[in-house]
Amino acid sequence: MDLMYFAELAMNGALVGLMYALVALGIVLVFKSSGVANLAQGALAMVGAYVVWWLADPLGAPLWAAVVVGILIMFFFGRAFERLALRRMIGQPVIMVIMLTLGTEILLRGSAPALWGAQMKRMDIGIGQQPIVLGDMLINRAYLAGGVVAVVLIGLAMLFFNSRQGVMLRAVSDDQTASWAVGISVERAIGVSWGLAGIAAACAGILWGSVQGVDWTLSLLLIKALAVAILGGLDSIGGVVIAGVAVGILENVIPGYIDPLVGGGTRDLVASTVILLTMLVRPFGLFGREDIERV
Amino acid sequence: MLSLGNVEVVYDRVFLAVKGVSIEVSEGGMVALLGANGAGKSTTLKAISGLLMPERGEVTRGEVRFNGRDVAHLSPPERVRLGIAHVLEGRRVFEHLTPDENLIAATSMHRDRRRIAELREKVYGYFPRLKERLSTKAGYLSGGEQQMLAIGRALMIEPKLLMLDEPSLGLAPYLVDEIFAILEQLNRDGVGILLVEQNAAAALDIASDAYLIENGRIVMSGAAGTLKENPDIQEFYLGRAGRKDYHAVKHYRRRKRWLA
Repeated sequence: MDLMYFAELAMNGALVGLMYALVALGIVLVFKSSGVANLAQGALAMVGAYVVWWLADPLGAPLWAAVVVGILIMFFFGRAFERLALRRMIGQPVIMVIMLTLGTEILLRGSAPALWGAQMKRMDIGIGQQPIVLGDMLINRAYLAGGVVAVVLIGLAMLFFNSRQGVMLRAVSDDQTASWAVGISVERAIGVSWGLAGIAAACAGILWGSVQGVDWTLSLLLIKALAVAILGGLDSIGGVVIAGVAVGILENVIPGYIDPLVGGGTRDLVASTVILLTMLVRPFGLFGREDIERV
Repeated sequence: MLSLGNVEVVYDRVFLAVKGVSIEVSEGGMVALLGANGAGKSTTLKAISGLLMPERGEVTRGEVRFNGRDVAHLSPPERVRLGIAHVLEGRRVFEHLTPDENLIAATSMHRDRRRIAELREKVYGYFPRLKERLSTKAGYLSGGEQQMLAIGRALMIEPKLLMLDEPSLGLAPYLVDEIFAILEQLNRDGVGILLVEQNAAAALDIASDAYLIENGRIVMSGAAGTLKENPDIQEFYLGRAGRKDYHAVKHYRRRKRWLA
């Protein structure tokens, strides 16, 4: 039974981890193209969830339409954020950009519940409650769907970064001046990356909103996503998958064994410990790029 | 093709780096811009390509005309689309991209995939060495290969004017020869070239006209051959002083102060 218990925790943890990875994808997309730490991704995911709920419930749009329109809205939300706020920060010290995204996170955390009401909303995207039974393991259906969607989206992001547009975004993250010099519109490229971060946020918001309900606590995903992004290496999309699975498994398995002993509450420690240890041992993460130095 | 009239560049709204520079590059011409460190050569190029902006520099006076059109208010990508290519000092290749991706990154102005493939083949025709290192990240290429890649990347935008900022910087002499030979080849193929160099000897050998810039001012200009014969240039930029003649040094200092 012990091995089965472990496998069940690990399996569900891995799927949850993939859903964390989807939030982290937004952080990586932005860092990969502009070198900016996007600390607003948690709140963006929350806003995405609110928007889709708002379209589907009070406005009564069919679910598929709400999802599509919500994703579009979040794409333009991300672009607008870049255009109105971040573009003014060009040439300013990095710390100001970081504070700006963090401030936005806090602002959105406060204003979304103010706009749509603070009590938790139910968002049903038509995934059954009863678990899938695999041998002796019980697998959460919502997590499974979430994990699959996350893998598909992350795969698409990887394909995109190997396309011509994607190569240009990577060029921008390498050297903005040189990108200008070869005709890349750097501002637009960064805007697109924020738009993509908005899409990732919308998808993550929908999945997480359907699992735990829509309210401000969705924005706390930021911490988990940061742990995943930092462990994977801030600019590696593949790293996000591996790190997501790793964080998810750790976060499910460790409390599964330790919680009964200490009385609970160890789950949230895992993500912060991962951040700390990564920064101490391998600051550029598992797959982050090292600075190239020719000898 | 390119004409700068009395261009003045100010950094941070206080520091006057270029003080009324006028330069002409004719269609398909090969012009060298010589000068010492900090004379304003790179700043002049950035005024043409529009890359002053990220460094908080600004053209405060004068005009930059390209094919008769005032480009001073265009963004760098817009100027690239007119055919102005700027190969930056220190090569500045995209280090984490492969050479092939470096070339692809410079194709934002092309819609036609066939055209891009043709251009790539053309670049590899000029620089066959790059083709041998297609899968290496550009950051791990040798200095000479990086310089070739930087020039090749600029060629992807099909420039009418190719501006190079110190392409010989930090390269072995035989590589300098190789790269300058390719520049001559490009020039014969019809690309106008504006070459900024500290290596005055090499630059004057391939250029048809040259300008000498000191303290942000053009102090001498003319046919490359004429400049090469000038005794001051011979002594201070070509290092052919012969004996140490301290009288001449003093004389030159005086002159320089007067000019500034």
